[in-house]
Parts: sequence; structure tokens; C-alpha cells
Amino acid sequence: MEAAQKKQAGKPVFSDYDYSNFYYGSGDDPLNLLPPFNEWYREARPNGYYLYAEPLESAPTTKVRVKNGKTGEVRELVNLASYNYLGISYRDEVKQAAAAALQKYGLGASGSPILSGTFDVHVELAKAVAEFKDKEAAILFPTGYSANVGFISAIMRSGDHIFCDQYSHASIVDGAILAKSKTVFFRHNNPMDLERKLSGVRGKKLVVVEGVYSMDGDVCVLPEIVDVAKRHGARILIDEAHSTFLFGPNGRGVSEHFGLDDQVDFHLGTFSKSLGGQGGFVAGSKELVDYVTGFGRSRFFSCNLAPAVAAGLLAGVRIVMNEPQLRAHLWSNVAYLRRRFAEEGIDIGKSTSQVIPVMVNNDAKVFAVAEKIQEGGLFLQPVTYPAVPKHKSRLRISVSAAHSEAELEFAVGVIARVLREEGICRA
Amino acid sequence: MPGLTRYGYRDAISGFFEFPTENARRILPAHLEPVEVHHGTSVFALTAFDFNQSEVGAYGEVVMAVVVAPLVKPGQPFPKSAMYPYLVATTTKAARDHAIERWHLPHWMDDVDVAFDRQKDHLTVRVKAEGAPVADLTIYQYEWHPVSHLHQSFMKDGEANYLAQITMEGQHSEHENEKGSLKLYEHPFNKVLAIPDVYDVPFREQWMRDGLQTFQPLEQLEAA
Repeated sequence: MEAAQKKQAGKPVFSDYDYSNFYYGSGDDPLNLLPPFNEWYREARPNGYYLYAEPLESAPTTKVRVKNGKTGEVRELVNLASYNYLGISYRDEVKQAAAAALQKYGLGASGSPILSGTFDVHVELAKAVAEFKDKEAAILFPTGYSANVGFISAIMRSGDHIFCDQYSHASIVDGAILAKSKTVFFRHNNPMDLERKLSGVRGKKLVVVEGVYSMDGDVCVLPEIVDVAKRHGARILIDEAHSTFLFGPNGRGVSEHFGLDDQVDFHLGTFSKSLGGQGGFVAGSKELVDYVTGFGRSRFFSCNLAPAVAAGLLAGVRIVMNEPQLRAHLWSNVAYLRRRFAEEGIDIGKSTSQVIPVMVNNDAKVFAVAEKIQEGGLFLQPVTYPAVPKHKSRLRISVSAAHSEAELEFAVGVIARVLREEGICRA
Repeated sequence: MPGLTRYGYRDAISGFFEFPTENARRILPAHLEPVEVHHGTSVFALTAFDFNQSEVGAYGEVVMAVVVAPLVKPGQPFPKSAMYPYLVATTTKAARDHAIERWHLPHWMDDVDVAFDRQKDHLTVRVKAEGAPVADLTIYQYEWHPVSHLHQSFMKDGEANYLAQITMEGQHSEHENEKGSLKLYEHPFNKVLAIPDVYDVPFREQWMRDGLQTFQPLEQLEAA
């Protein structure tokens, strides 16, 4: 029976369930988790979940060749889904540096960074990151996820308290779990709630925030958070995954943007967003880096970044330092898109950054909207519950400095047309 | 279908609130696992029913519960959610006696006041026991759609553990717009909750109206 017919008949349909329903299973066999999930997924996939993880057959530039997850057809689409905020990953200098390193070092690092897996290019990259962040030292991690998990669990212990924004990335939460600290969530970007949660708590305290929140594109209210944290004797970690290389006079991040670089205790960033590469880092004092080198388990129990990737990232960091106009171009694109969305009556939530959610606010319609948008020529994924709250479903746009005005205008046209057809925004 | 017990309701509203997992574990029997919305944060659910048709007539009911992992059986319909109601209160003795006898639900042993205040886009329920306020819950509406959802309710009575499979049919509105509110009062009714740690805005608000709650026959579970 089709989903619509089942719904009409009052029977449960795929949209009555989501990933959160299949987390627990019963019985003594872990494989018991699979049958109910797969029964649901067989119906959910053709009804829209196929839009996730569609294979790309070209570089993630502003146009990308995508193999449709349902039909198998390969089409060139305007790419609004890849991070690559500065359009760096496919620049010739980056590809050449990576290719030369591949020739010199081969495929991988072949070892842990604390044993045999550190190469000269890793040392050079860490130095370049420290210089860029204006810190004494930096330490590299194989992914942004492992940077949060490894760093938080390196410095916090059982009995300590970690205060996380409720919209914290999974890597922050998983780091807190691994640290075995008591984890307290405060309301999103709400210093008053943080103050309430911090009150009366003794012992080691860490407040964790993100520079830009990845689903809403809003910027951390860092001055207020810093004020509250300092008054309660808490240290502050800022995850600048989506803001490093973009915000502030030198692109160091949201902490620089607010002039609070020295007030924030721990600075974490990634290479996968603005640079379109891979990896994460923590920048700070040499003492901090030496300690995390010894206690960052996610790092030293992983193979180091591939030297070719590290070489490409090094070239990318140099481009960022030498070409501030890239940031200016990105912000110009963001301003253009925000203005055009406002003119078209399209809701972009609380975004003030290059991450722009096009709010659909209808979990039942978001997949149909996303399908139509892809048919219209855009590569853009739906985001729905449980990644965001119920009925806060959206399409998440990543703006790049590399987008042309024509591409952005094309995107606005497709999105506005589909949202009007679906009754999501005014005609 | 034989053995089914049906309750017609005018309104059934639920607020789902974050509260510490350590509080949830203090409430739950050892064999039940609290569902966490975040690491260390579980879900307290307050539901109020305005029943207008049942074997014991019309009555109001309030259910204090913890959201738990469901019991999933191969080949059986998949539940939408599972709860452990740790305290139920009704407005009539007949309803209370019926629910204790048939469903082994733990009850507040006196009649309570459950007052429904219906407004255009929201509904407020005020619960009083022994003349003193227990809880005020406000839930806002979203879009209405007909649904038929299977839920599970776990009960413990002495050493015996039970499971009720419950189908909720009716018009359904659900959202996470954080518009509703909860005021819990210091009252023996709320003694198992660390009230300051129960967040006073529901992360999810659910409202069902003009529907039917259907219980399948109670199952006794194997000892945990």
C-alpha cells in the first residue's frame, strides 16, 4: 500500500517514524535492531531518504555531477551542499601540493602521530595553523570529530562538569561522554540559562560553545557567554569548525570577530569546512599542546592525516593568509543571498552566517520539496528530525566564495518557485 | 476485537520535558532504560486526559511518566513510544479502582482536580490534589492530522512487571516550537522529581483530541 493510501486509512506510515525510533531494540541479540529499522527504511528511502549520500562524480565545486539515488541518472547540479566555504579544495595550488606530496610520501601516514606517523609536512602545517591563529602552538587531529572527542576527554575527568549548548555538535557530546564528566546542557545561545546551570557548581568547569552553529547558521553570543563563564570560574572551549578562516579581521574565527581571542581558553577548528579538506586542530600554548599530545586518545590511537592531505591543507592555509579578498567575496555572496531570500519572502531562520537554512518547517513536505529542488537543478539536502527539532525541517545551504552571482540567482529562482508551489512561502 | 478496553477522550495533551537521567533512574525499575535526548538528559512526560466515554463514565486523569526504551518483538507492530507511568491520578474513585485493578497503574489514592482551560490555540491543564496545586501544563497546537499510533506502557506491581499496548487514535498535533510551559509545585505528588532540574518549557508538545484510546489485554512480562 502506498504511503498516502496508508495515511488516508489511518495506518502508520514511514513519516510517523524517524531514526530516533530505532535506537533501541529488545532481546539478547544486537542484530534484533535491524529488522524493524529495515522494514521502515525500505519505505522511507524511496520517499526521500535516498537524497542522503547520493554519490558525487566530480569535484565539489560550485557545480557538481550527482548520481540520483532513486533513478541512477547522473546530472550536473548547482552545488549548495558542500562546505568548501572559500572554494579552496580544488584550487590548482592545493591540488599540486597534494599531488607532489602523494608522489613523495605515498598514500598514507602509516602510523600514529606519536609514533611513526608524523611527517615534516604535518609539523609545517601545525606551525602554519599556530601562526594563523596567533598562538604559540597547534596540534592536528585526523578529523574535526576526533579533535573535539580527543581534546575534551584529554582535559576533563570524572567528577568535572562540562556545560554544553543544547545544539552542540555530536563530537562535543561524545567528547563529554568519553571524559565521563557530568554533562549539563544549557538552552541554545542563552547566557542566562548557562548562568543558572553554573550557579553553585564547584570543581573543574568547562563551557563549550561553537562559533557558528551548523544547523541554524547563527553565531555564538560569545561576549555574554564569556562574561558568565568567567564570573563562575569556568574555562571556555570554542569550536570554530564553521567559523575558522572566515570570521574576524584575520579570519581567525568568531573569538577574533568579538575581540575575545585572549579571553577564550581553548580554540578548536577544522579543515573540512572552509578549506574543503579534512582534519581538525586545537591551537593554544605549547604546554597545552604537549599535554594533549600525551592524552588525546582519539588522535594517538588513529593513523595521522595522510601527508598528501596535510600538504594540500598547508597550501590552503597559505591561500587564506594571502588572499583576504576570498573572505570579502564570501560575505558579499552571503549578503546577496540573504537580500534575495528576503525579497522572495523565504524564511532563513536565525542565520547570520554562510550557513543558511531555508526553513520548510514541515516534516511531511520537506522531502517532496527537496526532490523538486533537485529536479530543478540544485544539489541541496533536506535536514529533518532528529537532526533538528520536529517541524523545523529545512534545506541547509552552504555558501561559497566561489559561487557566481548567476549561480546564486539561479538557486534563489528554483527555491522560491518550489516553495511557492508547495505553499511554503507567499506567492 | 475481544479483550480490548476503549476510552473515548475529548482532549489528551502531553508535554515532554528534559530532566536529569539520574532522576529518571531513581524513578524507574532496574529493567527499564530511560530514553535520553542528550547524554545525561532524559524525558519526563506529563499527560492529561479528558475522558468522555469509558466503562467507568467520564473522568479526568493525569499521568506522570518517564519515557523509556520500547519492547520490540519480531513481527509485531513497531511502537511509536514507550512510557513508565510512575504516578496516575484521577478525578473519580471508580476510574482509579478500575485502572488499578485492570492495569496495575500506581495511583494517587484520592480524587484530584483536573481543570481544562481551552483557548483558541492552546490548552492549559491545572491539577490540584488535597486542595493544593500540583502542576499547571500549557500546550500549544500545531497542524492537525488523523493518526493511529501504537504506544507501550510498562507497569510494575510488587514483583510483577506488566506491559500494555495502547493505540491512540484521533486528531493529532505535535511540534517542538517550545511555546508551552510547565509549573510544578512543591507537593507530595511531585516528591520524586527534583523540580528545579525539570525544564519548564516542553521540548515537544503533543495534543490529541476527539479520539479513542484502546488498550490490548495486559501482558505480564517475565521477571527482569
